[in-house]
Amino acid sequence: MIVANGIRMHYQWMRASGADTEPPVVVFVHGLAIDSLASFYLTLAPPVAAAGIDAIAYDLRGHGHTEKPGDGYRVGDFVADLGGLLDALGVHQRVHLVGNSFGGTVAFAYAAAHPDRVASVVSIEAEPPTEPWAQRMRAMMAEAVEKLAEEGAFARIAEAFGTHHARLAAAGLKRLTSATMIEELPTGPLLDLAGLRAIRCPVLSIVGSEGFQQDDLGALERALPDCRTEVLAGQHHSVLVESHRTIRDLLLRWVGEHAGTPAGAR
Amino acid sequence: MTDETATIADGPVLDVVSGMVRELLGGYDVDDIEITMDTTFHEDLELESIDLVVLADRLQQHYGEQVNLAEFLADKELDEVIELTVGALVRFVASRR
Repeated sequence: MIVANGIRMHYQWMRASGADTEPPVVVFVHGLAIDSLASFYLTLAPPVAAAGIDAIAYDLRGHGHTEKPGDGYRVGDFVADLGGLLDALGVHQRVHLVGNSFGGTVAFAYAAAHPDRVASVVSIEAEPPTEPWAQRMRAMMAEAVEKLAEEGAFARIAEAFGTHHARLAAAGLKRLTSATMIEELPTGPLLDLAGLRAIRCPVLSIVGSEGFQQDDLGALERALPDCRTEVLAGQHHSVLVESHRTIRDLLLRWVGEHAGTPAGAR
Repeated sequence: MTDETATIADGPVLDVVSGMVRELLGGYDVDDIEITMDTTFHEDLELESIDLVVLADRLQQHYGEQVNLAEFLADKELDEVIELTVGALVRFVASRR
């Protein structure tokens, strides 16, 4: 636990094994509502650390074991948390941000605001905070809350997917509705075209062919100055949990290719 | 899983793991919860993945760096992590300490 940006944040730092003086640093940013740092800590962090890279994962505000303030859930608050965490941990070198779903949105927003602190972004089923993103978020969160509020919703989830998923859904609903997340989150601040061009670092966008970007898998690559897309065939939005070994291999290769980006080079 | 019987070597580890799990669960009457080698973390104890992260921390503090639960779980499929039993974890710890 560490205090950053005024809140108590839960983080885990898995040190690079056999590291030289300054190993590359990967910071994992998890997704919304039902997610926590565990999704990364129990999948990608160990092989990343074993490959000689420092792996830092943290719980977003309102999630996992990080403090859950009653409000302060704009994308900008999450961006300030990430900056505060890196400062508090004394990480001053450029970091590789790896974000899953909403965590990728936070990573993009951070990279746009602090290009001098980011070596690269690896986005997993994620997109930057733009107006179309905000509209989709509003619609998705409203639909999720409405569906879960229906009578017998959790029993149906338990029957179809098991009690573990039903419990996750119940916890996610509580998280979305007990704070002002639903109202605040889509308010950004949002990036316009100039804002997207401010994301100058190299970006690897990993998407499932059946995921949230299935209607236009190349949209991000066209919108960003330096973006490469990896489409995982047959995969859905949950590609991180379904294909973490494939993503591990892509990530290790990516960091290897971009480990030497010196400060201020871009 | 019917063969999750604790051997003599597993016994002390089971006691330590059970103690850590009770601490994680907190609240009242945790001493009354029966924790055996067959107990599952998610279904029986209703622990979330984030609790496994804390458990990983405590195991490493207790037994040393070589007991790396995160590394152990990173090799598994999601279903295997969801179905993880206390026994599987105890065996892993016993094999590493």
